Amino acid sequence: MAGHRESARLVIDFLGLAKNYGSHAALAPLTLSVARGQMFGFLGPNGAGKTTTIRMLMGILVPSAGQVRIDGLDCQRDSTQVKQRVGYLPDNPVFYDYLRGREILQFIGEMHGLDAAQARSRTERLMDELALGEVAEEFAVNYSMGMKKKLGLACALIHDPAVLILDEPTNGLDPRAARDVQERLRLCAAAGTTVFLSTHLLDMAERLCTRIGIIHRGRLVATGSPQELKGGVAAGSTLEEVFLAVTDETALAAPREGAPDGPAA
Amino acid sequence: MSTQRAPASPLRAAGLLVRLRLLRLLNQASAAYGRRLGRGKSRAATPGKRRNRWMLTALVVVFMLFSFGNLARQSILNLHKALDVRADVRAGAAAGARGAVGPEGAAAAPAQPPAPATPRRIRGPALVPGTLSEPLSRGLAMEMSLLCVVVLLMSLGGREIAKPDWDLEWLVTLPLGMRTLLWSRLLERSLANPSGLLILLPAAVLVAWYAGLGWWAPAAGAAATLPLLLLTALGRTLIDTGLRLAVAPSNLRNLQAALSVLGVVMLYIAISTGTPSPPDFILDWARGFPRWMQLLPPGLAIDALDAPDPMALLRSAATLAGETALVLLLGVRLLQWQLRNGVVAASSRETARGAVASAAAGAAAPPGRAPRWFALGTPVQRRELRLLGRDRNFLIQTLVLPLVLVGSQLLLNGGIGGRAFSGASGFAGVSDSAIAMLAFGIAAYMLMLSAFQTINSEGEALWMLFTVPRTLDSILAEKARLWAAIALVYPALIFAAGIALTGHMGLELLGLACVVLVGVPIYSSIAVSLGVFGCDPLAQEVRTRIRPTFIYLYTLLSGLYTYAIFTSDWSQKLVLILLSALLAMALWQKARDELPYLLDPAAAPAATVSTADGLMAAMLFFVLQGAAALALADTTRPGDGGRLIVCYTFAGALTYALVRGVYWRSKTLGVPAMFGAKWRQALAAGAAGGGVAAAAGIGYLVAMRALAFSGDPIAETANALSRSVWLPLLLVVAAPLFEEFIFRGLIFGGLRRTWGALPSIGASAAVFAAVHPPLSMLPVFGLGLCAAWAYNRTRLLLAPTLTHAVYNGALVLYQMNA
Repeated sequence: MAGHRESARLVIDFLGLAKNYGSHAALAPLTLSVARGQMFGFLGPNGAGKTTTIRMLMGILVPSAGQVRIDGLDCQRDSTQVKQRVGYLPDNPVFYDYLRGREILQFIGEMHGLDAAQARSRTERLMDELALGEVAEEFAVNYSMGMKKKLGLACALIHDPAVLILDEPTNGLDPRAARDVQERLRLCAAAGTTVFLSTHLLDMAERLCTRIGIIHRGRLVATGSPQELKGGVAAGSTLEEVFLAVTDETALAAPREGAPDGPAA
Repeated sequence: MSTQRAPASPLRAAGLLVRLRLLRLLNQASAAYGRRLGRGKSRAATPGKRRNRWMLTALVVVFMLFSFGNLARQSILNLHKALDVRADVRAGAAAGARGAVGPEGAAAAPAQPPAPATPRRIRGPALVPGTLSEPLSRGLAMEMSLLCVVVLLMSLGGREIAKPDWDLEWLVTLPLGMRTLLWSRLLERSLANPSGLLILLPAAVLVAWYAGLGWWAPAAGAAATLPLLLLTALGRTLIDTGLRLAVAPSNLRNLQAALSVLGVVMLYIAISTGTPSPPDFILDWARGFPRWMQLLPPGLAIDALDAPDPMALLRSAATLAGETALVLLLGVRLLQWQLRNGVVAASSRETARGAVASAAAGAAAPPGRAPRWFALGTPVQRRELRLLGRDRNFLIQTLVLPLVLVGSQLLLNGGIGGRAFSGASGFAGVSDSAIAMLAFGIAAYMLMLSAFQTINSEGEALWMLFTVPRTLDSILAEKARLWAAIALVYPALIFAAGIALTGHMGLELLGLACVVLVGVPIYSSIAVSLGVFGCDPLAQEVRTRIRPTFIYLYTLLSGLYTYAIFTSDWSQKLVLILLSALLAMALWQKARDELPYLLDPAAAPAATVSTADGLMAAMLFFVLQGAAALALADTTRPGDGGRLIVCYTFAGALTYALVRGVYWRSKTLGVPAMFGAKWRQALAAGAAGGGVAAAAGIGYLVAMRALAFSGDPIAETANALSRSVWLPLLLVVAAPLFEEFIFRGLIFGGLRRTWGALPSIGASAAVFAAVHPPLSMLPVFGLGLCAAWAYNRTRLLLAPTLTHAVYNGALVLYQMNA
């Protein structure tokens, strides 16, 4: 019974999840859990395996070993049910040619099972909230990077998911838009949504996240709340110092071979 | 202070740009031909593999040069036959009276009085290398001009113009003057133009050969090709620069689509002179090619290659060089003028904003702005239709191109359809099956361009389908249904036209229409599933996203169905339709297994028993049986039951062993087992199934006897075999053992993995019946149903094997006693 309650509290559960590209280990077996309502920051240098991990959550990549569960559902085997609960924003969202932003968002809404009227009203509300109303009737391929990112976020939010999985959510946004998105995520988390986001922005991670995991060359090298992490290296150090310390190349006892940029980049 | 380095000299800059472009082409080619060697990322590639790619690329280039050369040769010979020989005959006939020359001849031949041109000999059908005749060189000038237009259109119709990034935008950031840059660009686009080289060079070399230049022909041909390539590069650069500056990217793509279709049509016309029977209109063009057009570069190139003496050569070559230089100078000036405001492509944003204003104005009116019919279909189907409506490229590729290609084929080759659509009188001679084959052919072709591309057309936005709570195969199924519905429009139109033109609508035509009607959805499904394997969504380059092998496979399979339409034997038709349907199910299953791995560069689905394995095993079984029968043909007496049994047992045992061995090696999941814990239930189910099947089979035989069908195949086989002591062994042991492994274990088991019990039982029994002789199909279908039911109860092969043995035993006993 206790175990059941435990698994209900833990919404994302990595159980030895691993991914190899041939002989190159993009992600060493990862065991990690994220509790409901938590805002989890996934940090790491370029090519550390962040995007690979996130893509396995979405069933885009197939794990080489282990599994990851969301709400107790295997992200590979029960991917349909998982996707009902999850909203996903990729690091570089590419959209269909010849479709307007509004049409794409409405399509995603309908694919999530909303009826046409519902999808339309939610589309309009989200487009306005994310300041995309002005460009709603433009073809999405012509959007700037920031607009694409916001449209991707709208696609992730359209079905009110219980879990948000965001790959670099503020990448390419202007300072105001980035702040708006952060505010939005804070509200989501306050409403009980679990957020799993990857980022390079340490100050954002520090301000927003309740828990942080740092991954380096496919291995989880540190986890904890921002405060715990900062206390771990030396009293009074910043998150940046922690990050630089745990991802220091020279500090690694036996540097493994392989290109510094993994295939996830 | 940083040291100032002098920028690259113009010549070196041009050289560097050309090298860059050639390098890109080479990478492209090796990526296209060598990529299938390994699924992993390029890190896994070994030097050995790379060398293979080079050889493959070189082989392809040689092959293409050869085939284009052959086409050019045919074209010259055809023009010679049409222009010289006919002119010769005419000249002979009109030796006395010049007025007898027909109107087209008057335009062509007598324009030149027989002064300096007549020493050119007019020869008979065989064209020996030497100086070309006046009409022939005129025809060749026409051909060369056409080819230049084709090269221009094809370079414009390429994907480059539709790409959102314009390479000139970063080239201008290099430390080069604009003039240098433009000249290098022209040079680069002339030399690194593979399609241009492939089309023009063989033609020029062969003209040189037939002009009697011997082994100088390649060099002379290359020299003549260069100015033409430069000029087409100039035309291309002028047009694409102008378009880039003036037209928004989305419209550019539509324009590119139109240009590519135009290019294909022109190519068909241009190469039609090289087909066995060139259409008349092109020969008329060759005869009536105006004299002044021969003074343009393509004509001058022919003149130079065909110069009778050094003076004429000098004259033509100098004119050609002068014209080319002048046009190039003017062209570069024009380019500079085009780019006077800088190299900034027409902003898609602003043009889109204009459209937005009007869209917003229109949208402001009703809240439910979607038209009523738009509520039809699923969201995916609606999206597909919307894209089809907006993306002209997609529209033309999928809906118009099949008509254009099939239409030009028919017009130029004058095949069945040529007669079919040239008028009602010609149509009377066209059989119903020819109409049906044409109808299915166009639909199948359209499906290749649409349903086959379902994954490909998602492009890089494929990730979105991974975010929605739907399985990818259910989405693909919706697309398959949509494309089947659209593809059915073509056969409907063709049948309607056929009925209207022939004025009759027989039962046969209706039956054929049904065969086509059933075939289109089957092939839509086959196209979608093969498209899953035929597309590489991880490929960076647009043209490497499609794997041609699977297009060939699809074409091959469509040919199978065309045979179902063609054959007049209805049982054969039925068998082929059933096999196609089962094949569609098998391929769909394979595609379904593959889908979760679509965006994963490294992982592949685990080996699992599938329907496709069963189909292959069944085919192997039959082929081995045939091979064994051939091998034993002379050693044993004909009609001997023993030989049959030896072949059958050999083929069955070998197939069984091979499939088992492959499964064992690949650690396949779900391999059917003979025995297991539930063997008692299996025996009971098997016996029950066997009892039902045997009762039905004997009932069928009794009914057949009563209906006076003498000599039914079961009886014949049984009589032929009853002399053999081996008979019980074959019918009661060997046949059940091997056939049940294939038809129940693999085919039914494979189907059952993906579909429900009833469809799987039905489909496996249908295909089991289909491989038997027509008269025994019905009882065997019953046996198939019972055996599959028995297997489904326990999943032990013991059950259906027993069913089969009981059925066979009972029927043989009945036959012997009857």
